[in-house]
Amino acid sequence: MYSTKSPSLRINSGDLKCRNGCGFYGNTQFDGFCSKCFRERQQGLERQRKQRVVASSSTKIDPHFPRQKTSSHHSARAATQQHTFPPSPSRHKPHSPQRGDQQERGTLKKNAILSVFQKTSTQKNVGKPERPYVPDRTEMEFITGLKKLLISDDAKKKLKSDIQRLDATIRDYLANHRSIDDLSECVQNAYTRLSEVLGRDPRFQTASPEAREECMNFFEKVVMTRNHSYLFSPCFTNDEEQDSKIQKRIRQLGWITVKHLSCGIDEVHSASRELVYTAITELVAMDSFYSPQEKLECIVRCCRHIFTLLKHAVGGPASADEFLPALIFVVLKANPIRLHSNINFVTRFSNASRLMSGEGGYCFTNLCCAITFIENLTAVSLSMPADEFEALMKGEKVYTSAWESALLACEGLHLISENMKKMDALKRKNENVLKGIECFKEDLKQLQAEITQKIDETLIRAPLTILPIKTPEFLRTRAQSLILSDAAVAEQRRNSGHFQSNIVTSLSIDRSDEGKALAKDSTLPIPIIPAVVGTTKPTDRDKPLVDTKPEPVKEALSTPTQSPAGRMSASSSADLLYSSPIFNYSPFDTNSLGDAATPEDFLSGQMPDFTGGITNINYDFDLSDHSGDNSVAEDTNITTGFNLEEFDPLIQKPSSSYLSSTESGPDDPDRIGAVECEKPKSLIESDSPSEILLPSPIKPTSATNYKGFSNFEIPSISCNTGDFSSLNSCEMATECLEGSEGVADKK
Amino acid sequence: MKAIEAKVVILGSEGVGKTSIVTRYLKNVTSSDQGPTISASFFSCKLYLDGVKVKLQVWDTAGQERFRAVAPMYYRNANAAILVFDLSQHKTYRDLKMWAQELQRNVQDPMILTVVGNKLDLHATRTVSREEAFLFASSIGANYMETSALNEQGLNQVFLRIAEGLVRLANENKSQTLRRYDSSNSISAYSNVFADDDQAFHLPSVHLGIPVEEGDVHSSDVGRLETPSWSIDHIAHGSVETTGWCCY
Repeated sequence: MYSTKSPSLRINSGDLKCRNGCGFYGNTQFDGFCSKCFRERQQGLERQRKQRVVASSSTKIDPHFPRQKTSSHHSARAATQQHTFPPSPSRHKPHSPQRGDQQERGTLKKNAILSVFQKTSTQKNVGKPERPYVPDRTEMEFITGLKKLLISDDAKKKLKSDIQRLDATIRDYLANHRSIDDLSECVQNAYTRLSEVLGRDPRFQTASPEAREECMNFFEKVVMTRNHSYLFSPCFTNDEEQDSKIQKRIRQLGWITVKHLSCGIDEVHSASRELVYTAITELVAMDSFYSPQEKLECIVRCCRHIFTLLKHAVGGPASADEFLPALIFVVLKANPIRLHSNINFVTRFSNASRLMSGEGGYCFTNLCCAITFIENLTAVSLSMPADEFEALMKGEKVYTSAWESALLACEGLHLISENMKKMDALKRKNENVLKGIECFKEDLKQLQAEITQKIDETLIRAPLTILPIKTPEFLRTRAQSLILSDAAVAEQRRNSGHFQSNIVTSLSIDRSDEGKALAKDSTLPIPIIPAVVGTTKPTDRDKPLVDTKPEPVKEALSTPTQSPAGRMSASSSADLLYSSPIFNYSPFDTNSLGDAATPEDFLSGQMPDFTGGITNINYDFDLSDHSGDNSVAEDTNITTGFNLEEFDPLIQKPSSSYLSSTESGPDDPDRIGAVECEKPKSLIESDSPSEILLPSPIKPTSATNYKGFSNFEIPSISCNTGDFSSLNSCEMATECLEGSEGVADKK
Repeated sequence: MKAIEAKVVILGSEGVGKTSIVTRYLKNVTSSDQGPTISASFFSCKLYLDGVKVKLQVWDTAGQERFRAVAPMYYRNANAAILVFDLSQHKTYRDLKMWAQELQRNVQDPMILTVVGNKLDLHATRTVSREEAFLFASSIGANYMETSALNEQGLNQVFLRIAEGLVRLANENKSQTLRRYDSSNSISAYSNVFADDDQAFHLPSVHLGIPVEEGDVHSSDVGRLETPSWSIDHIAHGSVETTGWCCY
């Protein structure tokens, strides 16, 4: 093609002259002649043509006479349709427009029909002009293909001659007859003949079965490629109408999704989408191949993609039950051009045995089934209501699917939709997490409620009765003096005192103050000394019945989890632990001993030193450990004024003084101070109280009396604040504010 | 060696186990290195039978009701048909009768029919009696077999029987579409799956399955229109099948 054209790029004046050499300028429209020479030549040709038979047109078409063809073609064109076509038709594009023209012209006079064939042949010739000299690329392919065949040269010659004969037959036939079915039969006969020749002809005896197979394919391919333009969707068939019909139909059915077909393709998943795209590409590519077997290969490849796709979706080899719907879906989404023409072309001119057997045949049959199904599609076959189907078909109802949106949208939108999907997934996940959190919260609440309830029950069962531990004055003073002088001695004293106090409390539960006092006196002499050092709590006569019971109960209710525990831990002093052996409260003792008491507990517990009875109650609660950890804070809650003071350097001193003063009221200030100082030690050493299942022996009746004294107890803790003050001294300025606030709160 | 190449279609309602019959049989047969088939819906296998090489091209079909109209495309040119129904579902058996009628109406060439009652393993819920099915099979000139694809029971026998029938059919020379080759070489002509072999499967002796006495091969092709083997009528194409099942 280029070789013929290239000279036109370097035009000499000579090139523009008439080819006849008459000196006038020529015209491409007149085939390079000047108008006069062209007319003369034309007339000569006309004469020639008249001399020939009608069949001469077919010989003109025959590619074996290219030179004649060229001239005849040009003349014909010049005569009939000079302006219709540009002089450089390409092989691919002209099909559709030309066919349209052909059909129009087909209704014209006979003469025009002749020209049609001439014209089509010219395209072919322009595509591969003057074969002997400049073989076209396709032609070259065939030549090399022929060379490659593993058969003898004689066989090749025979094959070549057969090809040429069939070529001629086809063109001959097309010129004279107009029945595509007969032509198809003719071609099929040729195939059968060739296969017989391949089987029997001595020239092919040496060839292997594969080579013969190859020959057969080659034959088919060459003939069909060369005659594709005549045989593909010929004007005298209604292929084209069918094409446009199915195209329109498929377009109408664009709303169909995988759900309608109930096939296992995941429209959204990117991997399966890719496979669907590939399958569609293969199916669409079918049109661009010339020979039936290549078209068939496209179909097979398309089907294979679908099978792999379904293999992923189904998890095993796909069956026809799944395959056919998937193929229908692919056809619907691909909407291949000239579908019917292609199918008919393959059906008519492919080697029949190829279509009747093998994978190609199976895939082709399935494709035909799919097309038939699409053509006859009704609401029933999609199992949807008829009116909805109608509405969708008429476009009254819009059905958007993920597939459609992805097709319509550009890549970015596609990405967005994918991301949206991802976001949705994330959102769902997040919701799940939130739900889980809610559940967890609920659980927590429930747990809290349970614990509260338990505690309440326990409290009701074993109400918190705080009985003061009465420390005899003389013991106190003695202890104080001992502490000051010798810690060890003091401890001993304390221990003894502690036991005494316990005894007193236990005995005096139901008694009046005086009774208790008497009991104390009597118990004092008891010589038993516990191995573990307990807080020294000499029973104090002055504060005998300080009872904090009502407070803890209230607080337990209000802040169930921690406050009661803290309270209890606070109240639980080592005294109880030691008291148990004496009084044979075995459960209390074991529990109490088992758990370690935090120092804070003791600190807090120190305040109610006097309330030896409380300690017993404290054992009932499981939360002693927690309370121990948080005890400082909790303790502060219990006795607000006191807690604030702890942290306030400023307030400490006044508070301590206040405490001492308050306590000194009933007791000796010295003693109190001593007790306070000593308590930390004992606390550290002692174990924290643990839960007690048994009801405490203490009874609630006595509790009311001692409410008033709780205030007094609070300040007693302030002895600890001494440490704070030392710490805080550095940061006095910063904490001043807090201190003031604490004071305010307290008041 | 003589060789036969035949097309076998598997028909039956959805869910009767057409595909599992194929896959199970394939699994048995191709346990050797015969290469994977691309799908269960199309495969070819070879059987040696009395010195005849029988190549079966088995086509699975879509059994859904809505694809009933396109079924003729599948069984056109078929030389044998396996009609599968579910022993535990009577409806599939009734459908099968329809399939058989349709086949008889639309296929002129003699065909080897085999009625297969699948899911023998669901013996407890069986709804179709052996006698009933056997009578029906005889009435259409078919073999009757009961199989269990799950237990791989009777599968080999099904295909063996089909191969036997095809050999007989070839000897009687009645079928136009059945391709016979005098040499086994040419059998590889259009096979994609097992193209490269001379080693085909030698049938193991099969004792499973319930072989039912076979009736006469359906050969009521007297006065049949003789058409050339490549006739366009024999090729499935996209035309609407008007002689559908709906008009009887």
